[in-house]
Amino acid sequence: MEKLLEILKGIRPDVDFENEKALIDDGVLDSFDVVSIISELNDEYDIQVKVTELEPENFNSVEAIMQMVKRLKGV
Amino acid sequence: MAFFEFKNIRVAGVACAVPKNVVRTESFKPLFGDEEVEKFMAMTGVRESRRTLEHQTAGDLCFRAAEELLQAKQVNREDIGAVVFASHSPDYRRPSTAFVLQYRLGIPKEAVCYDIGLGCSSLVVGLQTVASMMSCGDIKKALLFVGDTAGKSVYPTDRSSVMLFGEAGAVVLLEKTEDDKGEISSLIRSDGSGFKYMIIPGGGYRNLHAGEEVVMCQDGNERTLMNSFIQGTSVFTFTIFDVPKLIKDFWSRSGTTVDDYDCYAFHQANLYILRQIAKKTKIPMEKLPITLDRYGNTSGASAILSLCDRYASGKEGRDIKVFACGFGIGISLGVTIFEINTDDILPVFEDDSIYEEGLITNPNQLYGK
Repeated sequence: MEKLLEILKGIRPDVDFENEKALIDDGVLDSFDVVSIISELNDEYDIQVKVTELEPENFNSVEAIMQMVKRLKGV
Repeated sequence: MAFFEFKNIRVAGVACAVPKNVVRTESFKPLFGDEEVEKFMAMTGVRESRRTLEHQTAGDLCFRAAEELLQAKQVNREDIGAVVFASHSPDYRRPSTAFVLQYRLGIPKEAVCYDIGLGCSSLVVGLQTVASMMSCGDIKKALLFVGDTAGKSVYPTDRSSVMLFGEAGAVVLLEKTEDDKGEISSLIRSDGSGFKYMIIPGGGYRNLHAGEEVVMCQDGNERTLMNSFIQGTSVFTFTIFDVPKLIKDFWSRSGTTVDDYDCYAFHQANLYILRQIAKKTKIPMEKLPITLDRYGNTSGASAILSLCDRYASGKEGRDIKVFACGFGIGISLGVTIFEINTDDILPVFEDDSIYEEGLITNPNQLYGK
């Protein structure tokens, strides 16, 4: 989780990722942020986020993103 | 695997034309706000683009580019055996724009003419198509046209697209060679499951008379069914994984490496995507010319535009190996490699001409001579 938080803060240093639970629903992150996250996740975890994963609930919080990462890694 | 090799076809020249009208991305700040526009420019790299006049078409820009190229190369028009226009911006719903260009350019009736309905991949697939046609026929010379006026179909307040697209038309002259000196190779892929990612849903024969009702879409942008829709995140997701794989597969299939090419003439989708592809394939950015900053995303013409922008000013002609890559609407993606002498790359021309004979505003005009 620490590594993921570091990635997210690298993309958007101004966002409180520890406490935000509606990053997409509240419009905190835009589509440019989401594509940056997808690319960084690919580099760091060697996972491919498919189009079917592009649901707001997968990006609304750091916990949700971590769950998606684990699912895609088959953990 | 759709891999092609042509040993006796070469690219003999390229040219490109853009409209004169410059639209600065900053001019959208009153509409979308400073922060959003600044972020857009940082991510996409688009600082300004060129837009056509109301009745000016991609065909008009292609015509200017072809006139310049045919003159510069002193090509006898009687020798042209094929005219292919690869685009999503035809002059008319029918007939194919290739026929209009044939007529305007004075290409003989013996030529084969047709359009290919493609956008951002039109150069790489078009080269593969024309080279295939030439390699199994008796055509000595052919013209491939690529270009779009994508901005015309964007709803004026659609922040996903209105600042992104530029407009351009380009032409490629292909020649059959007597020896095996010419070499073109292509690797083409398609993924129809993504046909909705970039689409104009109305106006085709499934919904010919789609209404012009403005709808607020889920992404917060207003559009009608006659406007272009882009699901940017979906497009990016396919691009960032499938395009690097395509590029690496091409190197593997052709027995070449990243170092074997002088120029990576890529479709100018947006700067972030190009940087990500370069990073994942280890292509040096200095070998990947960028024109997004001055011309925006010019769809299928963008790779040729980038070649013209980088090499046309050179005084010493030299042969360069070009690795062209196109990807986008369809989903369609491909690589085509070719060699060209930099003397055969013409500068970018500016043009606002409209083909008056082709502008039909009253059906009774069609009954004239």
